[in-house]
Amino acid sequence: MRFPILQLLSKHTFQHLLKNSGTKWLIVLFNALLFFALLAAYSSSLEHTHTLDHYSHEVREKWENNPDKHPHRMAHYGYVAFRQKYPLSFFDYGMDSYLGNAVFLEAHRQNTINFSEASLSNGLLRFGEISAALILQLLVPLLLFFWGFALIAGEREQGTLRLLLAQGTSWSELILGKTLGLFYLSLTLLLPSVLLALGLLLFHPLFAQTSDVILSFGLLAAGYLIYLFIMSLLAVWVSAICKTSKTALIQLIGCWLFFTLMLPKLAQVTGQVFYPSPSKIEFDTAVEHELIQQGDSHNPDDPHYTALKDSLLAAHQVSSTKDLPFNFSGYVMREGERLSTETFRRHKLHLMERYQQQQNLLRWTAVVNPYIAIKNLSMAMSGTDFLAYRNFQDQTEEYRYDLAQTMNELQIKHISNNASSSADKKAVISQQYWKDFADFQHQFLSFKAMAKQEALSIFSLLFWLAGLLFLANFSTKNLKAF
Amino acid sequence: MTQLLIQNFLRSKGLMIGLVLLFFTGLVSLHIGKIFLEQQADIVSKTAHHQEESHQQHLEYEHGEMGLLLYYIRFGLANKTPNISGLSIGHRDIHPSVRLVNIRNLEEQKHATELRNPLYQLLGNLDFSFVLIYLFPLIVIAFCFNLLSEEKEGGTWTLLLSQSTPPVKILRTKLWIRLVSVLSVLITLLVIGKIYLSIPLNAAFLAFTLVAVFYVLFWFALAWFVVSLQKSSSQNALSLLLVWVMLTIILPASINALVINLYPIPEAYSTVIESRDGYHTKWDLPKKPTIQKFKDHYPQFAQYEHPEGQSFGWFWYYAMQQMGDDEAAESNEAMKEKLRKRDQISRTIAYFLPSVHTQFSLNALSQSDMRNYLNFLNELEAFHEEKRLYFYPKIFEGVPIEEENWAQFRLEYVEDDRKLEWFGKLLPLVLGSLLLVRLARRKMVVSETK
Repeated sequence: MRFPILQLLSKHTFQHLLKNSGTKWLIVLFNALLFFALLAAYSSSLEHTHTLDHYSHEVREKWENNPDKHPHRMAHYGYVAFRQKYPLSFFDYGMDSYLGNAVFLEAHRQNTINFSEASLSNGLLRFGEISAALILQLLVPLLLFFWGFALIAGEREQGTLRLLLAQGTSWSELILGKTLGLFYLSLTLLLPSVLLALGLLLFHPLFAQTSDVILSFGLLAAGYLIYLFIMSLLAVWVSAICKTSKTALIQLIGCWLFFTLMLPKLAQVTGQVFYPSPSKIEFDTAVEHELIQQGDSHNPDDPHYTALKDSLLAAHQVSSTKDLPFNFSGYVMREGERLSTETFRRHKLHLMERYQQQQNLLRWTAVVNPYIAIKNLSMAMSGTDFLAYRNFQDQTEEYRYDLAQTMNELQIKHISNNASSSADKKAVISQQYWKDFADFQHQFLSFKAMAKQEALSIFSLLFWLAGLLFLANFSTKNLKAF
Repeated sequence: MTQLLIQNFLRSKGLMIGLVLLFFTGLVSLHIGKIFLEQQADIVSKTAHHQEESHQQHLEYEHGEMGLLLYYIRFGLANKTPNISGLSIGHRDIHPSVRLVNIRNLEEQKHATELRNPLYQLLGNLDFSFVLIYLFPLIVIAFCFNLLSEEKEGGTWTLLLSQSTPPVKILRTKLWIRLVSVLSVLITLLVIGKIYLSIPLNAAFLAFTLVAVFYVLFWFALAWFVVSLQKSSSQNALSLLLVWVMLTIILPASINALVINLYPIPEAYSTVIESRDGYHTKWDLPKKPTIQKFKDHYPQFAQYEHPEGQSFGWFWYYAMQQMGDDEAAESNEAMKEKLRKRDQISRTIAYFLPSVHTQFSLNALSQSDMRNYLNFLNELEAFHEEKRLYFYPKIFEGVPIEEENWAQFRLEYVEDDRKLEWFGKLLPLVLGSLLLVRLARRKMVVSETK
């Protein structure tokens, strides 16, 4: 392999492609589309951040301004948590639009996270969302196939291929050189948008507090570089093995449809059939059944809670719960919250594992489908994948539990057993306690956690790169010049 | 001649494989529809069962007071899923089709999300409408892109020109053969779907079929137009695929971005906060104003009073709950209005995009669109209000639980019985096709006279 030849070939290919006025127009058009997508997504992400700031602020203010009262009333008053968008989410919407944005957190029960963009949209959303990621993953490869399908097959048809090979250019030089030329052309689409995205990212209001987003961005950009190189190589490779440029084009379009349309759907259908997941009513019923068996803290005759009461009375050597040195009903509620949360979380974990199984099926197809590899990687690095969502979900549940139990502790400690009801003057504690309970802050995953999850995607991209390079270098024996 | 052309068509391996693949994918999509319908039926029957079982449990539990019992028990309302929605699942996998609600404030209950794998929602369902909107055009493109150019590139065009039959007539016959073959796959799939999913043979199904047929016809008209421009095979393939990408990906996605940016819905968040504060803060406020507001809303309950000096009473409690809904009512209406606006503007734009228009029409016919959801929300509100008004006086009077016939409260159903708009659904597709055929004819005629 001689590098000057590669350089010459790539430069020639690049210039040859660019000479076509249609190519220039397409580059301008795609850059415009990419810029539009980035700016629109960025502005709506800012708008989202702004809206959430407003509402989170309102929630906090209202929480703190609650008057002195019984802590259990505060446990019911609860909190509303909002999902922040990761600063890079404007690059790739990922699942974002199908994920809930707001959740009401209260004692005793786990509410669903509601108001996903999808729940507020009509059928349009199903056609996909225009984002830089969609354009780079889906449309740019198609463009590369259009530009690349005739690179070798065309020369073969015109008879110039024999000349090239007769001059001493080797097949691998030819394939790699042309690939590089095509790849350079794809950079005219990738680089401007990467630069723009970087600029936007640096000005994002959440950038300061999530500095490792820059690492995510680095991996994201590297991923797209590799992906576009793979697609360039694929285009040239197919053009080399096909007799005519027409067959090359048809095969490339076939590849594209197979990668982006058929394989993901197939994996999804398989997952749906082999790993069914429960509906909400099934899930709720299962949790409820288990909770009933555990005992009911509201029922005076319940065996679990009677035993608890008896052991407490014995330990403190008193005859009535009224004489206990702490608030008994707070104690019981703390126990109830602990049990029900444990049960709920166990069921939830099962459900999440089931979803994970469904997703893994698709994830593994990345090995044969570079589109899925980049899709997963891009989603993860943009913080719009399932892992990021689970992380938010867990944080809200943790916060909810903490809120309920803090209020129970306050009740155990400060509320008299003689208080007649939560309206009783004796049953009231200072609002200072509300202020002491910290605000909900959505923490993003660290870059390390995100990258770890995507090891397979990164591997798949490298695997494809290595595999195609291998083909281009070593299996050129059967290729024909005419 | 026609016979020869048919034989030629049947012998081309690629085309036959394409048809078989399309047919097979269509069958898979019908099965997906079947799975969906079974899931829906399962959810409905489980909910009905759950409702019955939990009513039974709470009645055995002897809560004592009507007010306390109604704190717990929930009533179910199902959004009837017609079998035809197995063909076009639309947004049915995003919005739950059954709701269980108690008579406390509705706002906290009505937006609960169904449990679904978000990745699957993102990838979308491989339902029949997907096969129709995305895959059928691809087959049409594959069948037609080289209708004329293959003759030219293969050197047979000059032969054709020397025949006694005009070459355009031969091309037209080739097109008809392809059209009939693709349409017969479509019709066969729909007939199988009708039987497999037990879809009643009604106006909706008929309209569904017609929309599907005209959508395919539109693509044939488009392909015919591109063929009439007499470019090379590769150029034809490129331009047809470009139109496909524009119609099924870029334009709909751009419009979606536009609609979302045009009508953001922060009201959704306001409803959560307002309903929470509307109810929960009332515990710490004087009872009189809350009760007065309740009486202003429902003058028919003016005669009830909260017992003097008592710290708790059900009349006051449900008045507080009512405030959760009342104080979020404005945001709730604003939110629904925004949803309607989003729907309206996208449907208007869709008149110019056959892909989106077809999807919207099929979703509407399958009752899986936004309007169906909005209709269900309204029905749910009415249902909740009806239950409320039925039980309020019983709670306030302290009617004993045993006096109520609880067996009458079973899962209830609502049906979306909106009128079928034939005109709006079919006209854009028909007009678009006619226009393209007309344009193609002019091109063909021009080329023949050359």
